[in-house]
Amino acid sequence: MSRRYEERFKQLGKLGKKAFIPFTLLGWPNREESLKMIKEMIECEASALELGIAFSDPVADGPVIQKAAYETIASGFSVHDAFELITEVRKLDGSIPIGILVYFNTVLAKGIGSFFSLAKESGVDGILIADLPAENAQEVLPAAETNGIDLIFLVSPVTTPNRLDIILSRASGFLYLVSRLGVTGTMERSTAKDLELRALVDKIRKRSRVPVCAGFGISSQADAERMFEIGVDGVITGSRVIQLAQSSSSCSSGVLKQYFKEMVGASARSNRYEHCDS
Amino acid sequence: MLTQGKFGAYGGIYVPETLMPALEELESAFLRSSKDPNFLREFRDLLENYAGRPTPLYHAKNLSKAWGGKIFLKREDLLHGGAHKTNNALGQGLLAKAMGKTRIIAETGAGQHGVACAMTGALLGLKTEIYMGEVDIARQQPNVYRMKLMGAQVHPVTTGSRTLKDAINEALRDWITNLQDTHYLLGTAAGPHPFPTLVKFFQQVIGDEAREQIMALRGSLPEYVVACVGGGSNAIGIFSAFLNDQSVQLIGVEPGGHGLNSGKHGAVLSKGTPGCLHGMKSRVLQTMDGQIEEAHSIAAGLDYPSVGPEHAYLQEIGRAKYESADDQEALAAFQELSCSEGIIPALESAHALAFVKRLCAGASSSPNVLINLSGRGDKDLAEVMKHVQTL
Repeated sequence: MSRRYEERFKQLGKLGKKAFIPFTLLGWPNREESLKMIKEMIECEASALELGIAFSDPVADGPVIQKAAYETIASGFSVHDAFELITEVRKLDGSIPIGILVYFNTVLAKGIGSFFSLAKESGVDGILIADLPAENAQEVLPAAETNGIDLIFLVSPVTTPNRLDIILSRASGFLYLVSRLGVTGTMERSTAKDLELRALVDKIRKRSRVPVCAGFGISSQADAERMFEIGVDGVITGSRVIQLAQSSSSCSSGVLKQYFKEMVGASARSNRYEHCDS
Repeated sequence: MLTQGKFGAYGGIYVPETLMPALEELESAFLRSSKDPNFLREFRDLLENYAGRPTPLYHAKNLSKAWGGKIFLKREDLLHGGAHKTNNALGQGLLAKAMGKTRIIAETGAGQHGVACAMTGALLGLKTEIYMGEVDIARQQPNVYRMKLMGAQVHPVTTGSRTLKDAINEALRDWITNLQDTHYLLGTAAGPHPFPTLVKFFQQVIGDEAREQIMALRGSLPEYVVACVGGGSNAIGIFSAFLNDQSVQLIGVEPGGHGLNSGKHGAVLSKGTPGCLHGMKSRVLQTMDGQIEEAHSIAAGLDYPSVGPEHAYLQEIGRAKYESADDQEALAAFQELSCSEGIIPALESAHALAFVKRLCAGASSSPNVLINLSGRGDKDLAEVMKHVQTL
């Protein structure tokens, strides 16, 4: 398995920090701006990167990421281009964990073996296949193992206990906690529901050492802080990043930098949420 | 999950984690209800007394004479709602009630499934919301109005190709968000397990009746059973009763659109490749990168870039064959059935008719053919009028 996630989470733990993992879609709005945006993430000291490969029918995604995916595919940016871009990103930073978020058909179209080996060659550490439930993970496990790539799985508030066991038995890198029912996006969160998640996080903690990072609808410092409060190890934000980039003229404008810095700041202050028992 | 829902290499479950509990709940409700005499009695009662089953089997003598075959039509066009979709909507509506759901959502292409769901929602007291591509809304106005009339809310889908595929995406997104009180009443024998299996279960009444009717009428099985294939629910419904009758050739007819080499068609089994879409492995129309391509058909209900996984399997093992008929052939058959028999078929079903015309023309002796006339064509008049100005 990849060492980068393990090392990065260990390092953050020592410093009493949480992880901030920004997401963007590879090649959006174009190759050059996409690279600038990712560079900005690295320069602002994001803990890890979550990079999406655009798919025509992204059922787990809300309108913001759907639209960006549609534009990326329409621009002719291919899966091959996406891996080339990751290769560039890897040159910028040799130690940051890079995860990619894909849909299963993108993997199948290249062939499972080739897809994982392309991922490894370009410097990817983890792959999350949004529509591959843990039950079917055996289809990609051999390729993941051969290439030393972590398989990242989703856990949701409605995941049943027996399924949680299956997921935990296969998860590495980190667990992606779907922090609210629904698709990706930036709509209002419910504080009561957020606090209910604590029980789930505790349950995971009792059964596994894999770090837990929360995504889906996490867009502000306040959202992140609430997630840290219930005990997660990091947060992932995607739709908000893309929205901010849409509203600013260039992806390297101050708006994104400001946002990344705020989120990194919130993650660094998180040691006040440490529980006595941790 | 207790069962796998695999058809050879096809089928299965490929959905985001959040949907898994909903599929597990649905599977367990289906396994329970499909063996529950009370559930089955209620389903049968609705099929008979609400929807009007059994539908007739009709020997189309004029058409037979014109085309040179013995052609029998299974008249699903006479089912309440105007198409076979009612069978599945009622079955799943009862399942939704059994699971304690208060809201159903559905995708629709031609609008027939949307109408069937709106009927079911009104009948069973379930709040009903339908996702329909903007393009399909424009070409199926009467059905949109019917849905609204029966109290359903219709959401236009403006993403992607704005047709059936995108309506399914939107319905899945809604379900991911609202799975606690909502059942996704999927309209075709496709999607993640257990949908292909349960939709077949509710549609196999077509084949069961037709087999019995043709045996009573002729004392022998037909040589061919022919049905149009979009997602494939009417086809799997009629094929299911004949799967073990090796003498019967099963033929699914896909939409050839502007022609199989035009890039504008929906002939997934002829031209597609294995892939994963909408929660299942099946054949799909896709680019080298696995991006799903738009399907095209004059019949909105066939406009789908994948197909039910059992059809991909039946093709692979050679039990069924899949042919195609293009837009022009379907339009011609639409008119010929109307003129010769006074029956206006759905444009979807007209694809099956069009193939049978070709089959008869090429046969040395007049073949015995059972066609599933899956729906009626009233909904298609505006679309046909655009293409056929003079009668």
